[in-house]
Amino acid sequence: MQARGAVSIPRAWPNWLPAFGFAALLGLALFGMELLEPFFRWVEPDARSVIYARASFVDLLGRHLLVVGAAGAVTVCLGLIAGIAVTRRYGRDFLPLAGQLASIGQTFPPVAVLALAVPALGFGTPAIIVALMLYGLLPILRNTLAGLDGVDPALKEAAIAMGMTPRQRLWRVELPLAAPVILAGVRTSITINIATAALGATVGASNLGDPIIAGIINANMAYVIQGALLIALLALTVDSLFDLLEQQLRHRPTD
Amino acid sequence: MIELNKVSKRFNEALAVNDISLRVEKGSFCALVGTSGCGKSTTLRMINRLIPHSDGEILIDGQPIEQLDPVKLRRRIGYVIQSTGLFPHWSVARNIALVPRLLKWPAEKIDARVEELMALLGLPFDEFVGKYPHQLSGGQAQRVGVARALAADPDILLMDEPFGALDPLTRDKLQEELARLQARLHKTVVFVTHDMDEALKLADHLVVMREGRIVQQGSPLTLLRHPADPFVESLLGGLERGLKQAGLTRVKEHMTSLGPQVPAHSRIPGDFTLRQGLSMMLRDHTERLTVVDASDVPIGELSLRRLIKESQSERGTPRAG
Amino acid sequence: MVIVNAGERHPSPNVVLIALGIVMLCAVWLLGVVSVAPNRIVPGTSYPLVAALGMPGALLVTLLLGAMTALALRPARIHYLAMLLLLVMVLLLMPFGLMVAGHFLIDPALPQARLGLGAAYWTLSFVLLLYLVELRLRLAIKRLPTALLLVAVALAWWLCARLWLDDLALVQEFQARRGAFFSAVGQHVLLVGVAVGSSLLLGLALALAMHRFHRLRKAGFALLNFLQTIPSLALFGLLLAPLAWLGANVAWLGNLGVSGIGNTPALIALIAYSLLPIVRNTFIALQQVRPDTLEAATAMGMRGHQRFWQVRFPLALPVLIEGVRITTVQAVGLTAVAALIGAGGLGTFIFQGLGQAAMDMVLLGALPIVAMALIADAALGALADITRHGGAS
Repeated sequence: MQARGAVSIPRAWPNWLPAFGFAALLGLALFGMELLEPFFRWVEPDARSVIYARASFVDLLGRHLLVVGAAGAVTVCLGLIAGIAVTRRYGRDFLPLAGQLASIGQTFPPVAVLALAVPALGFGTPAIIVALMLYGLLPILRNTLAGLDGVDPALKEAAIAMGMTPRQRLWRVELPLAAPVILAGVRTSITINIATAALGATVGASNLGDPIIAGIINANMAYVIQGALLIALLALTVDSLFDLLEQQLRHRPTD
Repeated sequence: MIELNKVSKRFNEALAVNDISLRVEKGSFCALVGTSGCGKSTTLRMINRLIPHSDGEILIDGQPIEQLDPVKLRRRIGYVIQSTGLFPHWSVARNIALVPRLLKWPAEKIDARVEELMALLGLPFDEFVGKYPHQLSGGQAQRVGVARALAADPDILLMDEPFGALDPLTRDKLQEELARLQARLHKTVVFVTHDMDEALKLADHLVVMREGRIVQQGSPLTLLRHPADPFVESLLGGLERGLKQAGLTRVKEHMTSLGPQVPAHSRIPGDFTLRQGLSMMLRDHTERLTVVDASDVPIGELSLRRLIKESQSERGTPRAG
Repeated sequence: MVIVNAGERHPSPNVVLIALGIVMLCAVWLLGVVSVAPNRIVPGTSYPLVAALGMPGALLVTLLLGAMTALALRPARIHYLAMLLLLVMVLLLMPFGLMVAGHFLIDPALPQARLGLGAAYWTLSFVLLLYLVELRLRLAIKRLPTALLLVAVALAWWLCARLWLDDLALVQEFQARRGAFFSAVGQHVLLVGVAVGSSLLLGLALALAMHRFHRLRKAGFALLNFLQTIPSLALFGLLLAPLAWLGANVAWLGNLGVSGIGNTPALIALIAYSLLPIVRNTFIALQQVRPDTLEAATAMGMRGHQRFWQVRFPLALPVLIEGVRITTVQAVGLTAVAALIGAGGLGTFIFQGLGQAAMDMVLLGALPIVAMALIADAALGALADITRHGGAS
């Protein structure tokens, strides 16, 4: 990559522990919930079953991840493309509007967006994916704009003066320098979407929110705890993975 | 060679640069000097088309720049700015290698070039190659900036107050090294600065600008001897003009052969400036200095009386610097 | 530097407004304008523009939107003002369009029949909002006049709904549960208020402590970040079980009203979520005051409390209010989720509506929540602006 790239600077190892820990706990909770049966029996002595069994936890997790992942993939692409487009010369007219839209849109509570999506799109997983896409787009768009805007104008000019083409400037200078801010936007978006997707259980999608909703409806605290535990661990695992990614980025000095 | 013919630049209605004409010969070092907002940076940035000019024509080696592809044009012009503009996410080596990479040089050639440039700029290869800009001092960063500008061996070098943010000692050192580099590389340099001493030290063609116009241009000695108006004179330091002029010539150009008298006690190397010689006379309370060569062998004498006579007889006859 | 070509006579077309205009024209012609349902559960049939408004109505709408788009081709201040006028006209005419549609499409013989807003109406409202934002930027209209304009339009809509729009499903839904609606709004505001108020007090104390004691800093932020990461539904769920157990097994807590379901877990969770933005902003506000400013204050002979109240506090206030704004907007949404665990508030309508597949009831819950969030955002944003002196942050 660089001249005699062998000369490397000492870099501290990122802290893998939280990510590993949460992932391990998530795995344990997924496959070992039965081991806790005595505890849940103690919580709900009168219930017919104390381990949620309408679907396997792995299934629920898979569906949860699918929804969040599908929405996330689309939003990252769309948000980046939109953010880049409105900061180029041809799209600059749309920049103020996009900025305002991103900040006004985040005022809308996610649960309201989900609720409004149902009348428009109907019940079920596709509606949730669309709602998550709409809502998750905004933090990514906003941070992409902020990140690209935050690149030192002197650097942008230096890039022009060195004879870089617009495309080279974007890919080699602007995006790498904006990456930490953009990544923070993706992190916010995904974190919100994991939480909002869980609410999707109330609009007919089946995912990790299911045990909680079923537990509330049937007054079965054991179900509630199981669902809540899994969602919390999922959110913490994903969040600590993002933390790792951010540390990786930060270790390449970018300020 | 760079030529500007009746070039103007308007921002909205305001004239930032007003009808200037300028010719920078191949291999010469031209300094644009003036107070802030006088249009010197704008002039510089029009040359590599960072800013399009509004009127007139700018020629590089006889070709109007608007006929050239801006990207290709910029790749053959080195550019150095005050804030260095080093890319913080790239190592020193990668920063220096930028333009050669853009030009798709083969990897071995780039590696060799980076090593050569780092040696040229006094950056020990093993120590600096993997460092990132935030690990460098201001002076080191600016050395990298100059190395980056020189990487693809451009004929032309544009420098926008490159040493403006450095402390005086580092600045002096880098100025000297730039002068040394220029003596070796003979680039066509356009150098923007508000520091007249810096301009006098480095340039062989001075352009004084004010409110978008060129007030006076010529060799440093011409300007020192015949400032066109009070503004140029004040920029040149008013009363200290004489000393500045003395700073431009070497002791050995003014020495006389050793006379029959007892040689003066104080000795000065012939490569020192006349200004340093005068300073030494004041320090040592003497009117005469013995001029020595590099191996401390006396080669002549510097006498205050003679210097004054010399400048009286020379008044009015410009002399090449 | 932005180089504006100062040719006033031939400004280049405003592509943003043209694009928005075309989107609106496409929406009204291609999407369903209204839907008609025989009762509140059955999904309605959707009707296009001409069927809903008749040919004259359709032409009027097209004319208005077309004029807005055409004016954007030659943007000048006067044209922007004209566009603003047209925009307000369209906004005011929207409820009348519903009346006309009701007149055409609702069979008076069916008392249960109701009119729903179609996709075109939603799209139109949303795009008009964007249009207003863009016009506001172009005309440099301040926050307050824009807010007043929107309030006036909302009032006009409200009046139309009260007086003439009995056919509208949303209105019927509202009239059917007027009492429950107002008490839900009250509960919602109360929950948000109590949560934000207590987290403000707690957060200030915590931020001051973290400012003073360095050791608390890392642990404090780690804990608050951790809490913020846990999804709301999960946190509510995790609080349910232990609180239910406490309520049932510790008599005095039970007497205080602590139980798994209801306000207690909701408030605990809301406060937990609200702490991070408040603490973070207070902390930043305290840290950002430059040491030399404080040193100058000391050098001028200010005492400790004078320095706090005259220098530190005024400089920190806007950032603190910004934190309250973020917290409040977030709490409005989270309180809606809290309805799932029986905390009451507008979320009740959303989840009941979803359970019964009664979409109008969902709207009755969701729309006021959105309005509440927007109002809180605008009001606290304005307050932060007022406390900011001379644009300093």
